Amino acid sequence: MTVATATAPTMEPEAAESGLRASLSMADLKRAATCIGGALVFAVMTGPDGSNELPLSGLKHSLTPPHVTGFLVFGVVLAVVTFLWRHAKDGSWVGYRRTTTALRSSLRRGYASVLASTVSRRILQALVLAALLFVSLFIADFLGPYRPDKASFAQLAHTLTYRMTYAYLFFGLALGLATCVRIEREAAGSVPKDRSTAERVVVALGAIVGAVTVALAIAPGLPETFSWSMLIPGTSVSIWSKWVTYACLAAGLAFAAKSWRWKPARLAQARPAGQRFAGSTTLTFYLLGLFLAIEAPQYFSGFWQSQLITQIGIYVLLAIGLNVVVGFAGLLDLGYVGFYAVGAYATAYFTGSLPVQPPIILNPFYIIPIAIILAMGAGILLGLPTLRLRGDYLAIVTLGFGEIIYVVLNNWTSITGGAQGSTLVPPFSINLLGIHYTWDPPVQPLPAYYLLLAFTVIVLVLFTNANHSRVGRRWAAIREDEVAAESIGISGLKYKVLAFAIGASTAGFAGVFIATAAPPVQPSGFQLQQSILVLVFVIFGGMGSMAGVILGASLLSWLVAFFTFHSYLGFQEQDNFMYIGAVLILMMIFRPQGILPSRRRTRELHLAEEGIGSADALGTSFEGPLSHEFATEVDGGFPE
Amino acid sequence: MANLIAIGIFTGFIFSMVALGYTLVYGVLRLINFAHSEVLTSGAFGSYFVTRVIWGYQPLPVTGVSAVIYVVLGIVVGGVVGALVALLIERVAYRPLRRRHAPKLTFLISAIGASYFLYNFIGKEFGRYQQTLPNAPNNGTAFTVFGAQITTYDLITAVAAIVLLVALDLLVSRTKLGRGIRAVAQDAEAASLMGVNIDWTIASTFAIGGFLGGAAGFLFALLENGLSYQMGFKPALFAFTAAVLGGIGNVRGAMIGGLVLGLAMNVPQYWLQNVWLEEVVGFLVLVLVLLFRPTGILGERLGRSA
Repeated sequence: MTVATATAPTMEPEAAESGLRASLSMADLKRAATCIGGALVFAVMTGPDGSNELPLSGLKHSLTPPHVTGFLVFGVVLAVVTFLWRHAKDGSWVGYRRTTTALRSSLRRGYASVLASTVSRRILQALVLAALLFVSLFIADFLGPYRPDKASFAQLAHTLTYRMTYAYLFFGLALGLATCVRIEREAAGSVPKDRSTAERVVVALGAIVGAVTVALAIAPGLPETFSWSMLIPGTSVSIWSKWVTYACLAAGLAFAAKSWRWKPARLAQARPAGQRFAGSTTLTFYLLGLFLAIEAPQYFSGFWQSQLITQIGIYVLLAIGLNVVVGFAGLLDLGYVGFYAVGAYATAYFTGSLPVQPPIILNPFYIIPIAIILAMGAGILLGLPTLRLRGDYLAIVTLGFGEIIYVVLNNWTSITGGAQGSTLVPPFSINLLGIHYTWDPPVQPLPAYYLLLAFTVIVLVLFTNANHSRVGRRWAAIREDEVAAESIGISGLKYKVLAFAIGASTAGFAGVFIATAAPPVQPSGFQLQQSILVLVFVIFGGMGSMAGVILGASLLSWLVAFFTFHSYLGFQEQDNFMYIGAVLILMMIFRPQGILPSRRRTRELHLAEEGIGSADALGTSFEGPLSHEFATEVDGGFPE
Repeated sequence: MANLIAIGIFTGFIFSMVALGYTLVYGVLRLINFAHSEVLTSGAFGSYFVTRVIWGYQPLPVTGVSAVIYVVLGIVVGGVVGALVALLIERVAYRPLRRRHAPKLTFLISAIGASYFLYNFIGKEFGRYQQTLPNAPNNGTAFTVFGAQITTYDLITAVAAIVLLVALDLLVSRTKLGRGIRAVAQDAEAASLMGVNIDWTIASTFAIGGFLGGAAGFLFALLENGLSYQMGFKPALFAFTAAVLGGIGNVRGAMIGGLVLGLAMNVPQYWLQNVWLEEVVGFLVLVLVLLFRPTGILGERLGRSA
């Protein structure tokens, strides 16, 4: 408590007298306008389409009630929360001394004193809980079954009958409990004492609520309509008859147990740099993920097995490869699917599925090294001239490369088969030492998926090791300060090209799989949009963090597929990339490190913002002919 | 052959105008503005809707005053819409990051996000199919120069482009704003110490580039006689190539680079006879320039007076 009061800023007397008017500054109005404007943009994004003939009809329908109501309320809530938050944080809440009566004494010195008083702390926690529950309800109403007036709360009673609504609400509750504990911890100062029993109970409760939420949301075979009997063991629709529930509960309880034993002293314990958990915990998480990746697809329906799991697997593989380029080396590659196309078309060629015939027809297994070498060669050819200059040229050169690959594939009909693509590509098969087996994805998606999974795990282990080896440290050095790295003898160009080639070869490798898993090979699968999609997976998950990238790729590609195939949600597939663009901007503004960030990258991004280091390798390489001209620029700061 | 040269020159003018947007922004921010292609698209759509409101669905006669007014109005409306969209992009996708001194990579990614958001948004609101300019004068040949068939509005396009390019050159080299832009490009910190308002200069750089880009969008729609929500992507990619070809940061270089690229992409059609190879040629030019003369034709002008 004493620590908290000490940090409260002292107030100027005239500021205390100026009252409400002084507090409503221009910046406040701007922030409020941004919140409400953002909510309106969101309303238009989710609204009906316009047309060429009536260009404003889409806007008009989106911005009239009932469609706009829920969004407006959402925007206003957001604006109020932002306003209170800003003023509580910087201690300028003093203007509300006269307008607020109940909280008057405690609010005077801002957030720190809100935390200091038990009453105001409880009020803050209640507000947080209420706001989170409101937001979950909004999301539930928005994602619920299709109605023209989504998120307007017009048919809230209807929304409240759905199972997913309760999943969102429980999720909001668990998040709220976690925030309450966090507020308690902040109240105890920067170096907290031990946790109180009440806090431990709340954390355990939050973990269990969270586990039930996840079980409720993903347990297969439950009806869409919610009933409380789902939570009671023994009934016919109980979630307790599903193994998924126990898996979730086990994870939740493990978390609760871990947090029960939590001691502040452990924070001081030294850990290897860049590591979030002790090594064994990380391994446990990876094994748990692997277990899920092996087990979960068996419970999907045949349709989802054929549509989804191979697609997710390939996206994960692609994202792991792009992570080496974007996350490890700090470069931007926008022609990533160009290399993917090289792999896929190499497979189609060597299996004799293209109009031109190869000298020998090979089994896809033998094509893997060929595809990797071809894609890697293309990467080196493209990267070498470009990376000698500025890293940001790489983005546009790769963009052009991806586009040219697409144009050539689409038009050079005599070689590539044009837009029709190849004939059917034969699947992977083994015919060795008396073992005969064929992976036939269109017929049996699961075995092909497991084959892909096995290769993905190998690639993952290889890349993680590379990142923790000398090569990875060199990448980090180049990212953080290229001049310093070069001055101690690290060749920036060499390691950038290496990362770029590794990324390209992974894409080529993934191309072999997509060719066999989803024949025929057609150019439409290799458009620029795919590159952007994979980039979003990496950015969303957290560049530089393998776990984050895997999570980002599987979560987002599942979401895209889910929304696409459940069209009753009112979601249009053509709008996908609008949402993806919005996600990219928002992530860059609010959370550039991603949802599951790598510690090192987070630190680099923060340091770069303070003008130390660069956090990417887009500055000048000092082997180019222009070195002296850009030497002043590498300190990373932008003019302000 | 003469026809191809003429087409090359006209597309070259459009590339020049778009390339100026890239080169100016690169000068002050050291960034490729990936969202510039959407400035092009929105300019074309802006002038499309305004001219449609005025003239309805009637095609205008090829010659005469109305055709001239049509093109001038289209350029102005397209330019204004383009400038507004460019300002919006600067405001939403760049300024919050600039305030934070974010690393370059995040700028590139948020610009790509802005580009994807904008063009899909345009597609959602105005239809996702190829549209034609209803008032475009019927594309009859007005006269023939050395065997090249030139229409009236090819001529108007060329004149308008030259006027805009000269005006921009004067703006950058003669006016106070131009001096500010050059000062920021040279050394932003020193410029701010000398009383240049950096935020304002950067915003006006975006607006100027946006005006040219939006106007070029309308001219491009006129030249191709069509517009769609994806129309900005390829011309913008080639315009960037033109900017690199002329020397990035170099205003006159961008103009010459655009013309050279327009010719280089169109004239080989005489022998190749394959429309899609045009794009391959454009891309090859980019890679070859980066390999053999990365400073472009007239040399880069970053950090030197433009």
